[in-house]
Amino acid sequence: MKPITSLPVPTIAALTLFAISSSALPAKDTKKSNQYEAVVRIENSSLNPDYRTPWNSGRDSGGNGTGWLVAPNKFVTNAHVVSNSRIVYIKKVGDAKPYRAKILHIAHDCDLAMLELEDPSAFEGVEPFEVGELPQLDTTVKVIGYPIGGERISITSGVVSRIDFLSYSHSAVDLHLTVQIDAAINPGNSGGPVLQNGKVVGVAFQGYSGNVAQNTGYMIPPPVIRRFLKDIEDGQYDHYVDLTMSEFTLLNPAQRAALGLANDGIGIMVANAEADGSAGGILKTGDVLMAIDGLPVKSNGLINYEGEDVNMNEIVERKFAGDVINLKIWREQKLVSAKVTLKRFLPYLITAKQYDKKPRYVMFAGLVFQPMDRNLMTAHNIKDLQVRYHYDAYVSDSIYKERPEVIVLTSILPDSINSYFSSFSQSIVDEVNGTKIKTLKDIHSALGKSDGDFITIRLLGQGRPLVIDRSRVAAAQKRIQEKYNVIRDHYLEEQ
Amino acid sequence: MKILMKIPIMLLLLAAMVTATIKAAPTSAEKSVVRVNTTMQAFNLIQPWQKSAPSSRLGLGAVLPGGRVLVTAQMVTDATYIELEKADTAAKAIAKVVAVDYEANLAVLQPVSDAQFLADRVPFELADKLQPGDKVEAWQFENNGTPVTTEIKVSKAEVGRYFLDSSMFLTVRANGTVQYRSGSFTLPVAKDRQLAGLLVSYSSKDQVSSILPASIISHFLKDLEDGEYAGFPNLGIGYSQTLDEQFRKYLKLSEEKGGIYINEVVPGASAAAAGLKAGDVILDIDGNPIDARGNYDHPVWGKLSLSHLVRGKPFTGDNLQVGILRNGKKQLISLKLIRRPAEDWLIDPYMFDRGPKFAVVGGLVFQELTLPFLKLFGNDWKNRAPIKLLMANANPEMYEKQGRRKLVLMVRAIPTPATLGYEKLSTLIVTKFNGKAINDIKDLHEASLNPEGNQHRIEFESYPKLIFVDVNLAARVDAALEQRFGIIRRLD
Repeated sequence: MKPITSLPVPTIAALTLFAISSSALPAKDTKKSNQYEAVVRIENSSLNPDYRTPWNSGRDSGGNGTGWLVAPNKFVTNAHVVSNSRIVYIKKVGDAKPYRAKILHIAHDCDLAMLELEDPSAFEGVEPFEVGELPQLDTTVKVIGYPIGGERISITSGVVSRIDFLSYSHSAVDLHLTVQIDAAINPGNSGGPVLQNGKVVGVAFQGYSGNVAQNTGYMIPPPVIRRFLKDIEDGQYDHYVDLTMSEFTLLNPAQRAALGLANDGIGIMVANAEADGSAGGILKTGDVLMAIDGLPVKSNGLINYEGEDVNMNEIVERKFAGDVINLKIWREQKLVSAKVTLKRFLPYLITAKQYDKKPRYVMFAGLVFQPMDRNLMTAHNIKDLQVRYHYDAYVSDSIYKERPEVIVLTSILPDSINSYFSSFSQSIVDEVNGTKIKTLKDIHSALGKSDGDFITIRLLGQGRPLVIDRSRVAAAQKRIQEKYNVIRDHYLEEQ
Repeated sequence: MKILMKIPIMLLLLAAMVTATIKAAPTSAEKSVVRVNTTMQAFNLIQPWQKSAPSSRLGLGAVLPGGRVLVTAQMVTDATYIELEKADTAAKAIAKVVAVDYEANLAVLQPVSDAQFLADRVPFELADKLQPGDKVEAWQFENNGTPVTTEIKVSKAEVGRYFLDSSMFLTVRANGTVQYRSGSFTLPVAKDRQLAGLLVSYSSKDQVSSILPASIISHFLKDLEDGEYAGFPNLGIGYSQTLDEQFRKYLKLSEEKGGIYINEVVPGASAAAAGLKAGDVILDIDGNPIDARGNYDHPVWGKLSLSHLVRGKPFTGDNLQVGILRNGKKQLISLKLIRRPAEDWLIDPYMFDRGPKFAVVGGLVFQELTLPFLKLFGNDWKNRAPIKLLMANANPEMYEKQGRRKLVLMVRAIPTPATLGYEKLSTLIVTKFNGKAINDIKDLHEASLNPEGNQHRIEFESYPKLIFVDVNLAARVDAALEQRFGIIRRLD
C-alpha cells in the first residue's frame, strides 16, 4: 500500500537504513560458534548511477550487512544491502573466506532479497532458520548480526515495543506492517535475523539515528517475509498490489449523517480511487467502504485481523496480483458488494527511490533530456514549479494518463549551439516540432526526424520556443560528445 | 513590505557612520517639507477577523500647491491615523489620504482638522528635468527642527520595482553618503529648490540612493487633476529577448536589428484588446526602435526598458503606434492604452487598506487566495507554499478559463464540534458548496445560506474531495465565534 496525496504518512526523513557503507577486511575468526552458523555477513560492491552524468558508468561504492539461511543455499537479507550490486560475497562465522554469491530475487518494495552461493558446499549441514509468527508486544527478541563496533558476530536483545503500519525508507513510498523493538540495531545489522524461541520473527532493517529517537529499531515481521517467500516460489518476484485509493476518516457526525450512516464507528469514506488502479471504476468519491473480505472497516481505517487492530490494507498486503478481494460499499444509501481484482500500480514508482536501473537519457545538441523520477529530482535539485507540480501530483491529478513519462530538460552541456538556452534548463518538454512528447522514446524519435530547417521545442512554463538550427546539429553533436566525453548520446531501454 | 522594514534598521547602522556633506540649509526646506507621522495597522491574514498590533512610521512629505502633501504610498498603507507636523513649530494637524497609487508608490494627503494648516508653507514646484551628473539635495530635519541638506549626484536611471513586485517604473539612482535623521522615511529630493523626486531607499553598502523621479510624480498629479484617477496604463504582455541568432532566423528577424518576442498577452489588457498575439515580435513603439533585450534609447537616460514608453509619458486612454512582425510580415498596430485593475486579477497582487475577504462556516475559515497570503509562507514562499496554490498563481488562466473570478480556499478548520475530524485540513481549493460552483467568497456565503438538507456539502479540488458540516451545529458555532471574534465574514 502506498500513500496517495496528503494522507498523514510517517516522516521517513530521519529513518536510516542499517547497512554499513564502507567496509574493512575482518580479522580471521578462529573460534567456531556453531549456534549462529546460519547468520552470515554479506559484503556488497555496488555501482551507483549518477543521474547528472547518465552516460557514465557510475560511482563505485560498497557496504556490508547481515543475512540468514532460510533454506538450503537460500539466504535472506535486505534489498538495500545488495542494491545496485556489482559483486556480492557471503562470509561465514569463523571462516575468513569470502564466498561469491548471486542475487536470485530483489524486492525493493518490501526491502527483502534472496541470495544463493555459487558453490554451496561451505554451508552443507548448516541448519536453516524457520520463520515464526508475529511476536506479541512486550515479548523478548534477540538481534543477530554484524553491526559496527567490531568484526565478529553481535547479539543484542530487547522487547517488542510496537506493531504498526509504517513507511519502508528503502523505496520511500511503500508502507507495510512493521515491528518496533528496543534492542540495539546498528549499521551492519541490516538483513539480520531477529529471533524468538530460535525462530526468525523479523529482519532488522531500519531505525532512527540516535539524535532523533532512542532505542527504536524496526524489523520486517513474518507476514511480510512470508509473502516475499511465497511470491518468489514461481521463480520471479511480482511485487505488491494496491487498492490505489485514498480514504478519509469518518469521525464527523455530519459527514456520517449526510452519507446516511449510523453513528456506529463503522465505515471509511473513499476520497479518490485512481482510474488506472485496481479499484478504478469500481470505487468513487463519496463511497463508504464498510467491509473488506468480510471484516468490518472502522471509521479510522482499522480492521480487527488475527486478533490485532491493523490497517485495512493489511488484507491487500497479503494478496498477489490477480487475487480478488470482496468489498462491501455503502453508496447512495444502499449497501452494494463489489469484487476488486488486484494489480500493481506502476505510476507510484515515479516517486519511489529506484535501484538496479541504468539512467535513461537523450543528449541532443548539448541538451540532456531525462524522464522525471525521484532519482532525477534528487540528483538535479530541481526548483522549477512545473516539474515540482508534475512530480507531486503525478498520481493524485492523474498526470500519468497524459504523460506516461514526464520528460525534463535537466541540464545543458554548454556549446555555441546552445549558448542562449540556459533559462530553459530544468523544464518539462511539451512538444517537439508540434509532436506531443509522452515518453523518452517520443523525444528521441522526434529529434531524429529530419524535416524542416528548425527544431522547435516547446517547454512548459517557458514563454518562447527553444529553436535549434538543424544545419548546425550534426557538427555540434560530434563536438559535444568529444568535449564532454559522452560515449553514447542516448540510452532508452527500460530494464 | 520588506523594504520598509529594512530602512529603520539601516538608520541605526548609519548613525555610527559620520561622513556627510551637510551644508547650512536653504530656508525653504523648513517651509516646503513637513513631518508626516502615521500609525498603521495591517489586517491579520491568518485570523482575518482581526488586525495586527499597530505600528508607527515617521516620514517626510513635500508640500504641494492647494494645501496638499505628497508622500510615498508606503507611508500611508493601512494607516489608521495620520498627522502632519511642522518641523519648526511642532504644530500638528490630522490628515487624510486624498489619493493613493500603490503601484506607483505615491499618495496625496490633505489636512482635515485645520484646513488652513499649510497656509504659511511654501509649496514645491516640480523640477522638470533630471539628468546624469545633476546634483540634488535630500532634505530632512534634525530632531530640534533644524533643516539638514545632503547633496547627492544623479548617476543613471533604470526601470525597476518600487515596492510591489508586480509594477515597474522609472527609478533614478544617485551616489553619495546620506546620513539619515530619525523620522526620515522617504526624503524629498530637491534640485534648485524644486522637487526632483522622493528618495525611497538607500543602500548604505554602496551608498546609492533610489529616487522616485519628478516625471512619475508629475504623471500621477496630472492624472488626478480631473478628480478621476485612471492610474498608470499597462501593456499586459510577457516577452522574451531575441538575442539568440537561431531564434532570430526562425522568426525571420535576421534583417531587423532588435525586437522582442511576445510570450503571452494578458486577457483584457491593452495588448490583447489591440489584437496583439503570442508569437508577435514588437519592433518599435511610437517610432522608438526596441532592441533585442527589450530596451529603447531614451534621449537623457540611454537604454531604458520599453515599459517606460508605455507608462512613463502616455496616460490611460492614449494611443500607441506599435510596429510588429507577424509571421515574417511587418504591421503597424494602433494600441489604445488601458489599465487592467489589480482587483480583476484571479489572485490579488496586493491588499492594502482593506481586510482579506473571508467567511467562517461552522469554524471552517474560507478566504480568497491573494499574493500576500502566499507570502505568509516566508521569504522562501515560492518553494514552501502549497504547490497547487503556486501553480494557480503562475497560471491563473487555468482557472480563469473555467469562469473563476477568484480562488476560494478553505484555509483551515478552527477546532469546533462542527469541524470534528477536519482539524488537519488546510489550504484546499473549494470547487463547490452545497452543489453551487464557487467563483468568489460571495458565492460561498450565498451557497452557505441554502443547504439542501441538514448538512452543508463542501467539495474540494483535492484530497479529501468531500466533507459535510452540520447546518444547525454550524449556525450555533458561528454565533459563538461571532461573539468571540466580532465578525465572521467580510465579503466586500
